[in-house]
Amino acid sequence: MENTTKAKITLFHCINAFTEKKSLSTDRVDVKIIKMPCSGMVTEVFLLKAFEAGADAVSIFVCPEGACRYTEGNIRAGKRMAKTRSVLDEIGVGGKRLTMHQVKPAEGANAEQIIAGILEELKALGPNPAA
Amino acid sequence: MIVGHQKPIEEIKKMVKPYNKLLILGCGTCVKTCFAGGEDETAALASALRMAFKMDGVAMEINEQTVERQCENEFIQEAAKKIGENDAVLSLACGAGVQAMAKRFPKAPIYPGLNTTFMGIQESHGVFTEECLGCGNCGLGIFGAICPITRCSKKLLNGPCGGSQNGICEVDPSIECGWQQIIDRLKALGQLDNLRTYIPPKNWKTSHSGGPRKLVREDHII
Repeated sequence: MENTTKAKITLFHCINAFTEKKSLSTDRVDVKIIKMPCSGMVTEVFLLKAFEAGADAVSIFVCPEGACRYTEGNIRAGKRMAKTRSVLDEIGVGGKRLTMHQVKPAEGANAEQIIAGILEELKALGPNPAA
Repeated sequence: MIVGHQKPIEEIKKMVKPYNKLLILGCGTCVKTCFAGGEDETAALASALRMAFKMDGVAMEINEQTVERQCENEFIQEAAKKIGENDAVLSLACGAGVQAMAKRFPKAPIYPGLNTTFMGIQESHGVFTEECLGCGNCGLGIFGAICPITRCSKKLLNGPCGGSQNGICEVDPSIECGWQQIIDRLKALGQLDNLRTYIPPKNWKTSHSGGPRKLVREDHII
């Protein structure tokens, strides 16, 4: 993406994986945060609607493997991400815009690194063509 | 239940492209259970189509509604207002639901958003299997409640073929031999003698081979 355009990222996260202590938005990016009781609550509709609402990228922060309080919420989130990616590829938005990351609650700084990584990816992907 | 799955989005786009206002109509019973046409799938498809058409530069208003069942007039009626407000309907019901809509709304263009696949059950979460072909003359009582018409790839009625290996069908290794299942179940029920009954060639007249079928219940008609 061009440096003059502020990227939009929508972040869905499990409240057990990540706690927003400070805004992740910067002068380069607007990060819209949607917290959920478990990442397993993420559905195809939520992810698609985030893109329809203009997000250039959408990410899901899930608990590390084996650490889900509800046993398999992070696995479900992964399955739904894969399905939604295929839909995004099918319609031409591009599945690579949707990512999932395992995050531990103590890794607040890691979230900033992940956002920075997504911004790097967006340089190649460009803005959301459906926005 | 009726099992179906969504058509490719490209195929759907071609069908509905001529219209300015489209209603995507979900069906909240069978196809909801198989994650193909319920409220969630209707909303997801509407969102995907809005983005797809926007990228194509096509201005189309896409609306959504889900009724309990599209195969019954009482439920279809709930969609009448929205159908009148839109140019066409993309039905996420099975083929029966799509045709019920067409009968009820003769002036509205109705298009199928799903491919209707089979009559079946949810074997486990996310896994659906075909269990009934609707042959019109049920013989499940003899076969331990496992249908050889549906579950045997060759529809054999008097025992397995020579292609069954270790309980697996020779047609496809992902198919369990229906006859192995019938024999195992009859053995468990102590009804193996059922297999001594010769089953004559099936009369398919009661199936769809006899033409479109109709059931009339005079006791319910006034």
